[in-house]
Parts: sequence; C-alpha cells; structure tokens
Amino acid sequence: MYIPVLTSEENSALALRELYSSCGFKFFRMTRFEEYDFYAGKKDFLASQSILTFTDINGRLMALRPDVTLSVIKHAPPGKYYYDEKVYRVPKDASSFREIAQCGVEHTGVLSGDDVREVLSLALRSLRAVSGGRNVALDVADAGEAARLIPQERRNEMLACIAARNIHGLRELGASDELVSLAEEGRGLPFGLDDPEIRYDISAVTSLAYYSGVVFKGYIEGVPDAVLSGGQYDIAGASGTGFAVYLDALEGLRND
Amino acid sequence: MINIAFPKGRLGDKVCALFGKAGFTFDGINGGTRRLVFVNEELDVRCFLVKPFDVPVYVERGAADIGAAGKDILMERSPDVYELLDLKAGKCSMCVAAVNGFRDDMSRILRVATEFPNIARGYYAGLGRGIDVIPLRGSLELAPVLGLSDVIVDIVETGTTLRENNLAVISHIADISARLIANKSAYKFKGGRIREIMRRLEQAS
Repeated sequence: MYIPVLTSEENSALALRELYSSCGFKFFRMTRFEEYDFYAGKKDFLASQSILTFTDINGRLMALRPDVTLSVIKHAPPGKYYYDEKVYRVPKDASSFREIAQCGVEHTGVLSGDDVREVLSLALRSLRAVSGGRNVALDVADAGEAARLIPQERRNEMLACIAARNIHGLRELGASDELVSLAEEGRGLPFGLDDPEIRYDISAVTSLAYYSGVVFKGYIEGVPDAVLSGGQYDIAGASGTGFAVYLDALEGLRND
Repeated sequence: MINIAFPKGRLGDKVCALFGKAGFTFDGINGGTRRLVFVNEELDVRCFLVKPFDVPVYVERGAADIGAAGKDILMERSPDVYELLDLKAGKCSMCVAAVNGFRDDMSRILRVATEFPNIARGYYAGLGRGIDVIPLRGSLELAPVLGLSDVIVDIVETGTTLRENNLAVISHIADISARLIANKSAYKFKGGRIREIMRRLEQAS
C-alpha cells in the first residue's frame, strides 16, 4: 500500500508494519517514559551514550527512550513484536539530540534456530521493502564466535579493527590465525541460510557487550550508512533476537 | 564507476604515484592545473583532490567509494569506514615533543598544543594525566618555545624542524602511514572492483 499524502519515511514505515503484521508479529506501542535508572546500567547496549532526561512531576528522573528493545523486554511477555517508534539520540558527530524514526521487530524468549532464521529472513525482506528496487545486502556474523577468538586484554582494539575490516591491524595486534582468516575470508552462513544477498562479514560485530549469537547489518545500494542493525542478545537474563530499520538513514538515498 | 578521494599535497603526490604504479593513471593530476576532478574513462574510475582532513568525510558519507587517508587523520576523526590496506606511503610518527631538558611537573595540568586534540586527549587519558588542549593549526614548534604550551603532540617525519627549534621527542604515540579506506555500503555493492584495486595496490607498494 502506498499513500501519496504520506512522506517517504511514513510510507516505508507502513510497508514494514504490513510485512511484520503479516508474519504474525504483534504491534507493540510505547506509552510511558522510562526511568533514567533503567538505562543507566545498560549503556553498553545503546547506540549512543547520551540520554535525554527530564524530571517528572513526582520528582523522578525520567528518560526519553534512546532504544526500544530494552522496553519490549521489560514490558511485554516473551513473544513476537514489532514497533514503529521515535527514539532520541545524539547521532555521530552531531552536537544535539535528534528524534529518529525506527521500525523493527523483537522475538523475545528462548528461540530455536528456525526462530532466529525467521528474523534474519524478515530483515532481508525489510531491506527489499524499503529499497525502492535497489540492490540490498545483509551482512551476518557470529558475536559469540568473535568473543571466543578475541583475547580479553586486546578486546577494544581488536573490535575496532574488526568493525573496520582492518586485517593488517589485527595482525599487528597479534590476532590468532583463525581470527585473521575469519575476518579475511569469512565462512559459511549459519542456520542454513542460503541467499546471494546475505554474506558472512565479521565487521557486523561491533560490540560484544550484550550480543551473544548472530549479529547482522543491512545495506541498500546508494545509502552510505547501514540502514538496519540487529542480533541475538542476552540482557540481564532476557534473551531474544531483533533488529531495527533506521528510517532516517533512507533519506541518504543518493541519485548517482 | 569507482570514485576515489585523494588528499591534496605531499601525501597526495605519493599516493597518486602509487596508484599510477598500480595502473590507475589520471591525465593532468601531477600539477599545472586547478582542476579537482580527474577521470580515467578506460578503467571507469574517477578521482578528486580534497583536503587531507576531509578524505574520511567524503568516504564515510559516500561521496567517494574509497580514499587514501593518513592514519593520523583516521585516529583523530574515527570515521565509520573500512580500513582496507596500509599503503606504506608517507611514513612518520605521532609523537609528544618538548623543549630539550623539559621535566613534567605532575602537580600541574599539562598544556598540550596540537592539531590532533582527540589523539592527545586519548593518549593522556590512557596515562591518567590531566591536560589542557591548546588547538593550533600549524607551526606547533613555536608553542613550547614561547611558553604557550608545555609539550606538543604532532607528526614527526625526520625530526629536523624539532632539532632546529631546540625540541626533542619525549614519547612515541603511534606509527603513521597512508591507508586505503572504503565506504562500508560501497564495499557491499562494488566489493569486487574495490578488492581488485586493493590487489593491484598491494603488488605496487
């Protein structure tokens, strides 16, 4: 469904909501603000470290949500959810907060391989749904495997090299042959995934703090930044797999 | 078409020579013109000359698919790009230098003059040393001589300028050289061609 009076961002959100709803995911709507303390201990999970706060009428310090995943885990019983929300973050190199539209899914609870596979194929279908016919690519890697191969004492430096596909840097830091070859050549896809648009790429691993299994990032040809990001997480005993589509990044669609 | 961002200036000349050796030549790029864009139709590549500090910006935001940037600028700006290759051109070091005979007084905040505030802050944060960054845009050697700063954090190639101004290196922060960087999204869709350029540059360097 395309509605001419809606902006391209709203039409993209609509297309994604239709997709998620048709796959049996339930709509999750945020109605309340979260207390600041809720995020304070989980800052490593958040894409930006800054949180927009205000004092509620009862004197409590509240936060405008920087993220939706944590709220889904907190408020909803294990299940399949999708959302269409605004989050408040300071984008990289920016000096003020911005309201960012995000659409995504969370499948929470103890998941089977088939469940994770379903979220991954939904990520790919999301990219196609908002790509306007352009080529798409989904990078997949395994954060658990990366955590096993990266020695604790060089963790941050090696993670930075991995995110930058910096093979010469990994070698200089003394990475094992196994890690170097995984970064350089990749390997087969997990969960029996087999699609030319999905590739193993270790640079999808950007943090090991909460991601324990598969992690992924989605790209659209002509958009300079990743437009989708997600993975299998384990946060304070709650596990699940989910991803978010950054609707604002779609504005970066360039006309070559 | 592959778009390449080259840094203007001395490092740019070295990088252009390396690309030329690898078979990527651009008519008129070696001076004598004020043009900023050069195209090699046959190889389907286009390059443009930008300020060294701006190369990562062009690449990160997708105006260029790949670029050549000094490691110093990558460390300073931390762009979200791939660092694919050490081009081994323009080798130098990021160092701390001070007037000969300088003794750090740990009871005071250290005044650091630099063109690289983020590198300086990161280095001294790692040492747990409080500093006052004095941002300058060149002729850094003057700052400690005039007492504007205690030390400088800067690139040192041969050390001649330091010596001639009665300064010396007191610590080494990192080895610097030019790196081939790529836009992450471009690497997904033009990866085959980018890897071919990498292979040819590796053979040439």
